[in-house]
Amino acid sequence: MDFLAVERLTKFFGGLAAVYQVGFTVQEGEIVGLIGPNGSGKTTVLNLITGFLKPDAGRVTLAGKDVTGLPPYRMCRNGVARTFQLTKPFLCCTVLQNVMIARTYGRNPAPNLRIAAEEAMEILGVVGLTGKANFLARDLTLMERKMLELARALAARPSLLLLDELMAGLNPAETEEAMQLIRKVRDSGVTILVVEHIVKAILGLSDRVIVLNMGQKIAEGPPQEIVHDPHVVEVYLGKAHHA
Amino acid sequence: MTIKKGISLALLVIGVVALGLVPRMGASESLLNLLILMFIYTMLATSWNILGGYTGQVNLGHAAFFGLGTLTARMLYTGGCPLPLAFLVAGVVPVVFSMLIGVPAFRLRLRGDYFTIGTLALSQILYITIGNVLPKITYLPMADIQNYQILPRYYIILALTVFTIGVAYALVKSRLGLGLVAVRENEDAAESLGVNAFAHKLLALAVSAFLGGLTGGAYAYYQPSYYFNYTFSPPWSLEPVTMTFIGGVGTVHGPVIGAIFFVLLKEWLVLRVGEYHLIIFGVLFILVVLFLPGGLVEAWERIRRLVARRTTVKATAPTACAGGNNLPGN
Repeated sequence: MDFLAVERLTKFFGGLAAVYQVGFTVQEGEIVGLIGPNGSGKTTVLNLITGFLKPDAGRVTLAGKDVTGLPPYRMCRNGVARTFQLTKPFLCCTVLQNVMIARTYGRNPAPNLRIAAEEAMEILGVVGLTGKANFLARDLTLMERKMLELARALAARPSLLLLDELMAGLNPAETEEAMQLIRKVRDSGVTILVVEHIVKAILGLSDRVIVLNMGQKIAEGPPQEIVHDPHVVEVYLGKAHHA
Repeated sequence: MTIKKGISLALLVIGVVALGLVPRMGASESLLNLLILMFIYTMLATSWNILGGYTGQVNLGHAAFFGLGTLTARMLYTGGCPLPLAFLVAGVVPVVFSMLIGVPAFRLRLRGDYFTIGTLALSQILYITIGNVLPKITYLPMADIQNYQILPRYYIILALTVFTIGVAYALVKSRLGLGLVAVRENEDAAESLGVNAFAHKLLALAVSAFLGGLTGGAYAYYQPSYYFNYTFSPPWSLEPVTMTFIGGVGTVHGPVIGAIFFVLLKEWLVLRVGEYHLIIFGVLFILVVLFLPGGLVEAWERIRRLVARRTTVKATAPTACAGGNNLPGN
């Protein structure tokens, strides 16, 4: 059975088909990349899966269970966590509190606040924010905010993690660090769908890549094949280049 | 950390006991009246803060909850209903009423301004309607007025105040406190982490309305006579906002400090400048929001940190946003 199955997913904004008849599957333990140029519908697909948008047509099933159109908080409790492209930290809370919120409300929440705090500290250790636990989220750097975003998502104990451009804006060293971390998360048993704008980062990370253009799926396959796919080269670089 | 907590708890107990002993130490009736006013305003600000401060849903119609509380309690009490039951129903009636605005505004995800304008409109509707339907002065029962005792009122309202602060503290210190603040700070992020924003906003609204109604109950029991619609008038909506911001929005102690400061300053100003005190409070409110968004609590926190830096070499990590949030994990 497919772990995540998306079938004929469609979303219109006014007359524009932001996502049109998109279908793909993700298997347990995979890292799947979702790429495409600006405005190709990557984030919209992610919003449709996580319940932030309701699809006009299509179906989303998680481990065989139909979860189409469930509100975000229910998706989270079903084991789907996400990060946001523009990080959304709880600015006036400490880093620890940020993670505790996910640990007390996510899937398999901690039975009490003391345990929630302990487990939150463990997760902060994984992303390297232990030293910042008592800092306010508003005082973090971009890299730290991205790591906090990841820590919060992990604290919801997801079985499926959707990362929306987690690496955008990071320098090469930080990107490498983030990629290592994502692999580590996968190895701990979390299935991952990565939305990325940076082709290079996603190719080094994904087992499989899905390419969107103008709301439709135009290619799917292993990273090495995808970079040589004439369609993909065309949407990224234009026709002349390919010829 | 635990020592600090122990000291705070000890100070709190001493404070409440001291307030309990004040009447025994030959306090004048006017001092008791001033303290009762502080208690009522503390309740009012604390009840507003749960929804407006912690959950970020600005309610400009708190007078509706307060007014319904006074109306219900007064009607029941003068009708011969026992006092505890009158207080209880005074809390419940505003909760039912609050759902009129809360359910549609929160369900349709009409964020921010819609809810605020809705509360303002509903409270004004009630103010005008009550003024038309009950254009009379309400009095405590004759037996009460002839034999008006300030002492039982002082103690009962003190108890209600402790109860109100206790409810706010327990709520904020629980898991729910984290959820409420998550909704305030970023609703999308909160939802994505499993927080049901709608349910949390409704809960905060219900608790705020209940405690606001209870405050009304306290007022109805305290005040011998007033116009029925007086307790629905706009100041009862705006003063809790002012007090909460002056004290420190989104903290448990902020509204208490704000209420004490507000009552004392108002008392002092009314004697000197009369109605012009409204202008002074308006300007003060704007200044606080602009330059000291965490209120007096933040001011204190800044001073404390400044002193701490002078005396210790180690820089203290900032643990407070606008003077701390009293949440778990702080």
